[in-house]
Amino acid sequence: MDEKVILKELADAVIACDPPRAKAAAETALKEGMDPVTAINEGLVVGMGVIGDNYAERKMYLPQVLVAAHSMYEGLDVLIPAIPKDESLTSKSAVTAVVQGDVHDIGKNIVKTMLTASGFIVCDAGKDVPGAEVVKDMLDNKAEVVCLSTLMTPTMESMQEAVKMIKESGYRDKVIITIGGPPTTQAFAEEIGADHRDENAQQCVKYVNSRL
Amino acid sequence: MKQEDLDRPPVAVFTTCDTIDMMEACGAKWPEAHSDPQKMATLGCAQADYFGLESVRAGFCLTEEAEALGCPINMGTQRSSPMLKGHPFTYNPMKKIYDEPDNLPDIDEFLNTGRVKTAIDAMAIMHKTHGEDYVVIGGNTGPFTLTGHLLNTENLVYSVWTEPERAQKWVGAIAPYCKAFGQAMLDNGADVVQMSEPSASTDILAPTDFPVQSGQFVKDCLGGLKGMSILHICGDSAPIIPYMLDTNANGISVEEKVPSEKAVEIANHRGCLVGNVGCAFPLFKGTPEDVAAAARRSRDAGFNIISAGCGVPIGTPADNIRALVKAIKG
Repeated sequence: MDEKVILKELADAVIACDPPRAKAAAETALKEGMDPVTAINEGLVVGMGVIGDNYAERKMYLPQVLVAAHSMYEGLDVLIPAIPKDESLTSKSAVTAVVQGDVHDIGKNIVKTMLTASGFIVCDAGKDVPGAEVVKDMLDNKAEVVCLSTLMTPTMESMQEAVKMIKESGYRDKVIITIGGPPTTQAFAEEIGADHRDENAQQCVKYVNSRL
Repeated sequence: MKQEDLDRPPVAVFTTCDTIDMMEACGAKWPEAHSDPQKMATLGCAQADYFGLESVRAGFCLTEEAEALGCPINMGTQRSSPMLKGHPFTYNPMKKIYDEPDNLPDIDEFLNTGRVKTAIDAMAIMHKTHGEDYVVIGGNTGPFTLTGHLLNTENLVYSVWTEPERAQKWVGAIAPYCKAFGQAMLDNGADVVQMSEPSASTDILAPTDFPVQSGQFVKDCLGGLKGMSILHICGDSAPIIPYMLDTNANGISVEEKVPSEKAVEIANHRGCLVGNVGCAFPLFKGTPEDVAAAARRSRDAGFNIISAGCGVPIGTPADNIRALVKAIKG
């Protein structure tokens, strides 16, 4: 089968929000001898990029994004184990976390998905994460990017605390810190010493890629 | 609330407003004030007693109903809200494993459980001490949001795309609890029920999905209440303001993400408009002058009640809340 056809099918399966179709397309890619890294980067990731752009422009909404992300992960689950051990998918590393006191993690999960789609290996620290755990995950993974999220206004202080602890770790100069969530603003990012406030996941990916 | 002509609009926070300064001033603090009716009432009244706001309001979070329906909760600290620690029902649209909404508690039992009962009891205390001079507001959670708490919001939202009827079946089964809680607060002394439905915001649901997945059930909850109600939805609610008003709530509460003038134009006097002074900025991070300017903008645009646009951050400076009041009351 033509490689272009398979790549288009991988992308289209994600855009169509069809997890079984994405999984089948990934299996076809391997069966046809396609390089799994190419299948990821030029197939699944292209599809997720279209979804991300549409979400940022409010042409698509969260239900579709979640199902599209599931579709991408179904494909990744087939393709990633097939990558030869000496071939690295990426060298970029990021940590994502919802700060301590907040358990609303949908936005963070979308950021994680879009970073993955952009070639990052993402260490997802989860939700209600103390600053010390963010720092540990950042150091353990030699992260180049830390993305912090909060949905609620009371936990903006936890975000400030996490950034403070990153500064105190001595690693601040080596990492890009972005923040997101409805109550945050660029002015707040600057005030607490983060690099950027992201309006959405797509903007986050564009920003960090512009800095790396 | 009745959109009558007044010399000035009231200044009253319909969303949560329980700052550290208020807790220190009145002596009723989180987390105890979430579970003790007297402390809840004392803290709920502090916004009038210490800041001159023209409202008193309780409770202070959106986890009361979820806990009463089985969610495990971490009650938080003085500086952090109660948090859900899990979900009592299985609802996994990716693996297609679902519980059905068949074995939910009896509604009377729900109303007598935990912090739902605390809030209902607090309404009677607040009505007795402040009801003559202030509007008593009882806060509750919208049906789509509460259903997400019980099932896992991400999974519920996922199923809006893959199995919308299943999502609606669950939200429809949960809505009677929201209505019963609201009515019980009204019956026990509240003047207004303020329902928050953040999970149905346009950051999550498409505007066209709102009436089907949330709005029709909010209408069941608020439209038939014997008493007044306000529906609050966070984010840029401009595209769904008409749908919010279709729920037959007496009014709606919107954030500063909808420009004040635009909100007034879209609402077109179909209901009372509450808001929309920004919480993160200017209330939390701005100066008193910034707050006053935002309050005057809401007033001049034609908002019926000047309020914070969403929940007031716990660390909001007292001077900023006083500036909100002074800008309107003079």
